[in-house]
Amino acid sequence: MSTAFPKAHFRHTAASAVVPFYLYAAFSFLISAALLLVNSPAFREHYFHPHTLALTHLMALGWGTMVILGASHQLVPVLTERPLYSMRLAHLSFILAALGIPLLVYGFYVFDMGWPAKWGGRLILLSVLVYLVNLLKSTGRGREMNVHAVFIITATGWLFLTAFLGLTLVYNFTYPFLPKETLEYLPLHAHAGILGWFLLLVTGVGSRLIPMFLISKYQHNRLLWVIYAGINGGLLLYLLSFFIFPGLPFMYPGAVILISFGLFVFYLSGVYRARIRKQVDEPMKVSLLSVAMMLLPILLLLLLAGWRYSGTTHARYTLLYGFVIFFGWITAIILGMTFKTLPFIIWNKIYHEKAGRVKTPNPKDLYSEMLFNAMALTYLAGFLCAGAGIFGEGWLLLRLGAGLLLLSAILYNLNIWKTCLHKPLV
Amino acid sequence: MNVISNHPINCTIALAALEQVNDPELGLNVVDLGLIYQVDFDEAGNRIYVRMTLTTQFCPMGETLVAAVQRALEATFNGREVEVELSFDPPWNYERISERGKDFLNR
Repeated sequence: MSTAFPKAHFRHTAASAVVPFYLYAAFSFLISAALLLVNSPAFREHYFHPHTLALTHLMALGWGTMVILGASHQLVPVLTERPLYSMRLAHLSFILAALGIPLLVYGFYVFDMGWPAKWGGRLILLSVLVYLVNLLKSTGRGREMNVHAVFIITATGWLFLTAFLGLTLVYNFTYPFLPKETLEYLPLHAHAGILGWFLLLVTGVGSRLIPMFLISKYQHNRLLWVIYAGINGGLLLYLLSFFIFPGLPFMYPGAVILISFGLFVFYLSGVYRARIRKQVDEPMKVSLLSVAMMLLPILLLLLLAGWRYSGTTHARYTLLYGFVIFFGWITAIILGMTFKTLPFIIWNKIYHEKAGRVKTPNPKDLYSEMLFNAMALTYLAGFLCAGAGIFGEGWLLLRLGAGLLLLSAILYNLNIWKTCLHKPLV
Repeated sequence: MNVISNHPINCTIALAALEQVNDPELGLNVVDLGLIYQVDFDEAGNRIYVRMTLTTQFCPMGETLVAAVQRALEATFNGREVEVELSFDPPWNYERISERGKDFLNR
């Protein structure tokens, strides 16, 4: 017996470079939902509240970024058609981030910008750097650049910039050296992360994975390059307006981003219409719903940029903007995509030696569909209640929504542990 | 779904065996998915050569699928050596899915 194939094709990413990220992210989501419930009074105050800052960073880094880093160790080889350069670097980036995130979050929570926040920020920055090196080494040079790989590399560049700016702001609290107040740099830090990291990455990865899962014939690389230019162009325009042309209305970069988003929706509608697989499973439905949820923060951003609200209303809408990004769009895409990726990683680990010899269960049999549906329902109800609560200052509604989101996070954790602890059935 | 073979009868038996090997994500077998390009048998009757592809290079399930194809043929043609070659020339495309496969995916 023998096989003849390029060995490089089978240097797959081991589960150990992926699963710890998922488990860490799931725990972060659980803690975040609990913090939202316990600290919901902080939402009545300005968004620059220590508890709100702690929650935002736990959601952005512990939940969103950790799950993306882990998933990308598995997906980068699929997207770039090259194996992951180093497992050790993957493990190292996990350890650094896993240590740094709680320190930073604790620093914000007690608003101690001394060693906890500084060491947290340093470790996170180092983790991003390690991840970036691994990514660059994995994509290699000398070949035609794949559009999806360019999306990921650029997004990681923005993540590095976000983390660097974040650490700079932490230092600026104790040794003020920047020309403006720290608070004035926050939108820059936030948008480098939200648009540069999350939006660019989700569009780059989604434009590859969604056609793969739906088995769609639709291809439009030129459109993807336009979307890439639009998101980066909008973000660069925003940077220009911040540093060089302070009078430039935020509507301009906002409109460029909105158009890019519209083009991404157009791309996905083409993918959806040309799909060969007609039946769309539940995790895929939640992932597609998250695309629609991307519209909410973009519209809110345009509202905030275009209308003059009183200070407290502006602050509340800014809070809502952050909420719909982290508990809405990013959470929805992770809840959906987790169950399109994690079960495969575990299935491959357990049944790799058995496939073709005996009948094996399918990867989707590794998680509970009932738990998934209950999680999706409580999540949607919780998101709507909490969002409406922030919007209308209905604090009881916010608490109810936070409670439902916590329930959803518990169900999510149960389901991913069920998947990870799956025992071979054959 | 065109499969090249130098032995049509044995090829039919081989494909029937490979219909038990499913793509885990789609639940569709590798034959109807059009992943099998060629199944050849040597004259002495002790070797089988399979050329197959994947829906995408670096498919995370690639190694598992290739190993599953090999095991399924070893079990069906007991005692024969099975060689599986992975090829992306030509790359897989949607036209390779059989009508039965399309019906399955359309359900």
